[in-house]
Amino acid sequence: MMNDSLFQIGAEGIDTARVVGEIQKSVEEKIRDGIYPDPEIARAERHNLKNLQTQDAFMDYYMNCLRQAAYIDINAFEIRERRSFFAPALIALKKVIWKLLVFYTYRLWSQQNQVNGLLVAAVDGMDRKNVRKIQELEARVAALEAAKDANRS
Amino acid sequence: MSRADRIAFVCPRFNDEGTVGGAENLLKELALRAALNGRDVHFLTTCAVNHFTWANEKPAGIREVGGMTVHEFEVDEDRDLEQFIDIQGRMSQGGDVSVDEEQTWLDNNVNSRTLVNHLRESSYDRVVVGPYLFGLTWQVQQVLPEKTYLVPCLHDEPFAWLRVMKRLFEQVRGFLFNSEPERRLTQRLFDISTARTAVVGLGLESPDADPSAFSRDHGLQTPYVVYAGRREPLKGTPMLTDYVDVFRRRTGRDVKLVFTGSGEIEAPTSLYPHIIDLGFVSDQKKAEAMAGATAFIHPSVNESLSIVLLEAWLTGTPCLVTAFSDVMRYQCEQSGGGLWFRSYPEFEEQLTLLLDRPELRLELGRSGRAFVEREYNWSVVARKLFHALDEPFDVSSNS
Repeated sequence: MMNDSLFQIGAEGIDTARVVGEIQKSVEEKIRDGIYPDPEIARAERHNLKNLQTQDAFMDYYMNCLRQAAYIDINAFEIRERRSFFAPALIALKKVIWKLLVFYTYRLWSQQNQVNGLLVAAVDGMDRKNVRKIQELEARVAALEAAKDANRS
Repeated sequence: MSRADRIAFVCPRFNDEGTVGGAENLLKELALRAALNGRDVHFLTTCAVNHFTWANEKPAGIREVGGMTVHEFEVDEDRDLEQFIDIQGRMSQGGDVSVDEEQTWLDNNVNSRTLVNHLRESSYDRVVVGPYLFGLTWQVQQVLPEKTYLVPCLHDEPFAWLRVMKRLFEQVRGFLFNSEPERRLTQRLFDISTARTAVVGLGLESPDADPSAFSRDHGLQTPYVVYAGRREPLKGTPMLTDYVDVFRRRTGRDVKLVFTGSGEIEAPTSLYPHIIDLGFVSDQKKAEAMAGATAFIHPSVNESLSIVLLEAWLTGTPCLVTAFSDVMRYQCEQSGGGLWFRSYPEFEEQLTLLLDRPELRLELGRSGRAFVEREYNWSVVARKLFHALDEPFDVSSNS
């Protein structure tokens, strides 16, 4: 939880770096507690991925979101119309089109869901493999350095 | 070098009615301020309005604007557009481009021989030119490098890393930067001593904006956040619409998103009913929209100053910016007027905080306004500008 005293307003105003730091800590805790994994967040971050690539912890979290997002909801949804003019007629027309197309699109979408699932599993597998390889290499480097130190002494 | 009495400001486009970008506005405002100071100011520009086509839409000629003389010259029409687009496409994607191709890209960029000839035949004490990535800027620098001051408006983007830019940045006499992070980025990319640089920025005046006017005029009962400027992927607006859409759904809070500026808004369908698109509006209407907002949100990474951020602070509104923009993050830290987010969860926490803590929101806005009034008032900016132009940097002091 964030510390309330952070938001005390002093003569110098608010220490924004402290506020941001505290928010970042709070978010990290919430991510660990599983509050954020959400397919919607995975989609919202699609334009931010280039920036997030340098944030290791976030990429782990993003993979979690992606796992949730891989299977999209292909069931019927509420049809809306944002133009108020002729809205009821346009909604009715859209419903008819939806009913005509759903027979064909359902098969397409379910196949897409399978592909999404396979892709996420593949990326996940590669990620785990790379993490394991890096851990093995780190352990080997540490062992070699220890052996070198032992030889020196 | 003597006092800068006769100054040429050069920019590929002239900002007539706020219809072009921030760099054009910046150059125009600095030129107007120099004219107001009694200098003989000439603004050299092209007849183009659209930065995609660079078509000569305005007639060539000379006119008086705010005490300065505006010279409009035709853009060279013999550019090889196909070659330009091909090379630019590869550059923007970070592809491999040879030095010759970089030069071809500059030669087929926006250029004006008549403008360059005018400069060659006239006797200006100083030439202030910008932004950096246009062929015209490169040509101007070649005519009078010892008198040229570059207003780069530099971002960390593929064009900044071109080898031809090294010559531009290393030959001009000096630099007028918009912010300290822009100066740092330039010095990271090029071999330039601090003695040849000045951080000048832009002066702004406090608007008289009623914070309740926008909601009243639009019958709004709910809080809203605002974005002002171009709507395009490079400015991060698709990310902003995604974030606000997810925020509404996850938190169940009815927050509207207000846009001013130009360009198509790319947004999830479910957010459209909650977007208020004002398009181009007067400065007064923009200030009113900003003044009543819970926050001004700027998701763009590539900024060298971000005038809209300063404008939002002047209306007393706090800002939420992307942490990946060095400039905006620096401004928020310096001013104490805004928070910065790296990802959606941080954005959600920060916007929730501003909605729930009005006293925090007000204090952030107050700090932001005090910062702009202190650092970006015209008397401070003009002093820095004239100091840089009248007491020219010593070019021998490089590195």
